[in-house]
Amino acid sequence: MSTLETISETHNSTGTWTEEGGVFWHNDPGLNVREVAKAMNAVGARFITITAYQLPKDEGFRLEYHWDLAGRLLGFVFALPGNSVESGKVESIYDLCEAVDWIEREVHEGFGIDFKGREYEPLLLRTGDLPGVNTRDAAAPAKSSPGLPGREEVAR
Amino acid sequence: MSYKIPMGPYHPALEEPYKLDMICDGETVCDAKLHIGFNFRGIEHLAETRNYIQVIALMERVCGICSFIHTLTLCQAMEKLTGLEPPPRAQYIRVIMAELERLHSHVLWAGIAAKLMGFKTMFMTCFELREKVMDVLQAISGNRVNYSMNRVGGVNRDIDDPLSLIPVIDALEREMARTVIPIFTSSRTALSRCAGIGVLTHEKAISCGVVGPVARASGVRQDLRRDAPYAAYQEMQFEVPVQPGGDVKARLLVRALEILESCKILRQALTRIPAGEHFAGDGKFNFISGTATARVEAPRGEVMYSVSWKEHARNPSRVHVRTPTFVNMPAVRYMVMGARLADAPLIQASIDPCYSCTDR
Repeated sequence: MSTLETISETHNSTGTWTEEGGVFWHNDPGLNVREVAKAMNAVGARFITITAYQLPKDEGFRLEYHWDLAGRLLGFVFALPGNSVESGKVESIYDLCEAVDWIEREVHEGFGIDFKGREYEPLLLRTGDLPGVNTRDAAAPAKSSPGLPGREEVAR
Repeated sequence: MSYKIPMGPYHPALEEPYKLDMICDGETVCDAKLHIGFNFRGIEHLAETRNYIQVIALMERVCGICSFIHTLTLCQAMEKLTGLEPPPRAQYIRVIMAELERLHSHVLWAGIAAKLMGFKTMFMTCFELREKVMDVLQAISGNRVNYSMNRVGGVNRDIDDPLSLIPVIDALEREMARTVIPIFTSSRTALSRCAGIGVLTHEKAISCGVVGPVARASGVRQDLRRDAPYAAYQEMQFEVPVQPGGDVKARLLVRALEILESCKILRQALTRIPAGEHFAGDGKFNFISGTATARVEAPRGEVMYSVSWKEHARNPSRVHVRTPTFVNMPAVRYMVMGARLADAPLIQASIDPCYSCTDR
């Protein structure tokens, strides 16, 4: 049994593995983020990062969790559909993996995603008192305003 | 009675802004909280407004020390989305530039560490050595900081006479082995400031997920150049220095030994560099829809880029950067706990932090 199959078995998943874009992706829509973290800890994988994507319109967010296992990059995708405050929530794995602390805080601040089951210290990346503000609009707003060019204008 | 001592965001030991709030009991640091983000630039989101040429120039400015590494990682990810495979000569040039950057970063760090120890003569010696490496980087690329070397499918400039660079590498290696390493490892000044100071245990290093020399100085044998080789690293013979101590001395020693290994890699790459083109294709290519990820061993540890593109789009739809300092920084809390207050500047500097990368 290969290591990847062992991982699937550890968190009771029937999903398959595919290699794409330099990552071994685990395809299972029923994945649980905490079960994955426990399985990764069991095989001695190292947590790398979470990449968050804001999807168009009201499709919500996609989170990609990356782990390293002996030089092999493993990826797990979690969808957070919808655009409500409640839909932008996912369980924290901070208690299972200390290395995730600043990464979760960064995603929380940048995309307004709430990691349930953990407390946040004051904002990590910016000053202010508005947690969960999407910095995407602050960096390059979709529409221009007086003195501030919009995303399309900057691209031109 | 415990009291709080803030270090930063503007402090003589820090070249860039960050803040360390230390809870002290007398001279002993009991706990610490780190604050970053004083110069957060929103580069990841800005990248979504740049086309495939502009985004390389933008990401080169994430860091002033490892600017080549950032564009290398980005271009490797973009190459996976375009199908362009850099020719062998370009892969060797990438190794040469990456190792020169590692040399100049490590020597720069050794100089700053010497200054923080109060060892100013060694600071001057290290910066003189670094200047020689900078001269080589300038001779190859025409630039001293942002080299503009990488492009999708290869590199922008060739190295006309690779063998002419070997004497510089020899001289650097000789000076490191004869002067810098013996003084750092045997002088009473250096040892009294470094040995047993700022310890990060092996268990804590694994738990915090630290990378690069910080991990290797805590006994974690981890190096992407060997574990997941990229460019032409699979053709290079080198050792991965590991030290078990976990203290400032171990981190210093790992970087010193890595300088010697970098010289070894450079000598191999410069003598074996294959003839041929230094970039693939004719500059015309299309992106396929999807996400690609690339990782590179930067001087401070693993850098990871996730790049997302839609077919025929001019701009990326997402560029995510995971820099090494972002994962090494939280471990500073554990390094300063129990240390003397006066050692805190050197301890935080021992991870070779880059706040430019952190506040990307």
